[in-house]
Amino acid sequence: MTLTVAAGPVTAVAARVRGVRKVFGSTVAVDDVDLDIPHGAVLGMLGPNGSGKTTLIRMLLGLTRPTAGTVELLGRPVPEAAATVLPHVGALVEGPGFHPFLSGRENLRRVAATEPLLATRAIPAAVDAALERVGLGAAAGRRYRGYSLGMKQRLGLAGALLLPRRLVVLDEPTNGLDPAGTRDVRGIIAELHTDGATVVVSSHLLTEVEATCTHVAVLQSGALIAEGELRGLLDADAAGLVVTTPDVDLAVTTLRAAGIAAYPDDADGPGVVVPAGEPPEVIALLVRAGVAVHEARRRRPRLEELFARLTEPTS
Amino acid sequence: MSGAPSTSVDAGLDVPRAAPWGRLLAAEVRWVLLRPRTLVMLGLFALIPVLIAIGVTVADRRPGPGRGLIGAVAGNGLVLPVVAMTVALALLLPMAVAMAAADAIAGEAASGTLRGLLLAPVSRLRLVGMKAFGVLVVAVAAVLALAVVGVLAGVLVVGGNQLITLSGTTLGLGEALGRVALVALWTVGQLAAVGAVALAVSAWTEHPLVVLAAVLGGLIVFGVLGAIPTLAWLQPYLLTSGWSAGVDALRDPLPLAGMIDATWRALCYLAIGVAATVSTMLRRDA
Repeated sequence: MTLTVAAGPVTAVAARVRGVRKVFGSTVAVDDVDLDIPHGAVLGMLGPNGSGKTTLIRMLLGLTRPTAGTVELLGRPVPEAAATVLPHVGALVEGPGFHPFLSGRENLRRVAATEPLLATRAIPAAVDAALERVGLGAAAGRRYRGYSLGMKQRLGLAGALLLPRRLVVLDEPTNGLDPAGTRDVRGIIAELHTDGATVVVSSHLLTEVEATCTHVAVLQSGALIAEGELRGLLDADAAGLVVTTPDVDLAVTTLRAAGIAAYPDDADGPGVVVPAGEPPEVIALLVRAGVAVHEARRRRPRLEELFARLTEPTS
Repeated sequence: MSGAPSTSVDAGLDVPRAAPWGRLLAAEVRWVLLRPRTLVMLGLFALIPVLIAIGVTVADRRPGPGRGLIGAVAGNGLVLPVVAMTVALALLLPMAVAMAAADAIAGEAASGTLRGLLLAPVSRLRLVGMKAFGVLVVAVAAVLALAVVGVLAGVLVVGGNQLITLSGTTLGLGEALGRVALVALWTVGQLAAVGAVALAVSAWTEHPLVVLAAVLGGLIVFGVLGAIPTLAWLQPYLLTSGWSAGVDALRDPLPLAGMIDATWRALCYLAIGVAATVSTMLRRDA
């Protein structure tokens, strides 16, 4: 990534994790993870439940000390330099945390009062702007107790966006959000990206990650099993052909008779997936057999497939 | 700092920054005082002297002995605030302080707001300072409610603008108010000790109830230990053993030894509590 920020020295990596390990009792939550998060990247952190995503994020933010290894945030060691770097970091970790007896606005004011980079007289405006940005302007005066799951999540997001940040860490930001909310979050991440901020998003929604992220890191059982630019990872995995046709059964039997593996797939309308095989040969075979080929394209694996292949044990 | 932080961001990365102290303390006090249970609790404390005043006035019309501590209030209204504070110090005031301390750290952890504070970031040491201040505010407010309403109820309901001491002498209004203020201050000191220990428990757990149980359990154990004659040697180490010294303010001349003793003891508990809170907070995962 060669994104540059407005002014001043720019660190090449927003976060650097080296040999980080976290052990709780006898369970190893994070096991020897090395990870660089390039400056300006939108990194999607993926992994099944209990794979160590949140623990890694907590260590990244200095909330938990690693059992071994080092963490650097914006070029400074964490948690030692937390007071220096954390003002530039916005985070929504482990769900939104607010007081039920206070209104959304009052909760956010309390958060704003603790923000080192926010001038006292700038607080009311910053709070209102953040509330508007996440679409809570109308509900700001209501007590947090009465907020829906999605509204709580939006308020948590507002807390991370109170002021311009260099790094924004969002742990499951779309949890409990309706489709409109999910789209809003996607928009916010895109805005942050355009503004040059580095974003770390952990999510279960692979389509979300696919739509918003430039980089991915995949964790399983505490270990980092894949990391890099999203496009690169997907391209490396690209193979095969998708043929769109109404004559699915005929196509499959024809190809199988010719010794080419094929299976029906109606993800994008009726069609056949040919995992391996030369496109000209496959298409010629189909056309000769009288199969109506509407479209044939190289298969670009979805992140979902990549993820499944990486994290599910192969039998 | 300018209104546009984006320009000051780079310059600021080498300097540790922190939100102004005054703003943090103000935010904490606001949070404490906006909490409905704090307000209900303060209201109940204001009711204690009123109830004692009414009780004493009603009982006074009937003949009979009953010259206990509360009986001393009869016809002698300025005794009321001192009695109210002494009675409340036995259990209710420590409970109120324990509740505030429970909400301060364990409660914040339970509602997921503690990590927000640490991420802002508020340094862990400042966080302890901020929380201790909030607990102290509750202690002061509760004692003030007892003292102020006590004086008002004493003068208006019970009557008498002079204080007849337990020693039989009479004090003028000014000196009587001075004695009330002294007891209030001394009581806040004792509560600060309770609060410090409660905060230490609060820093160690994430269940507010544990704090309340620990403080109430501790008070009861201290009370039982203090009542066992063969354990008399323990007395100087028990925070609760000096808690009746507030009544000394009703004697003339004023015997200060008891209150001073209790204050030293409170200072020891305070130091231990603060040290334990700080060391626990510095190591705490949030």
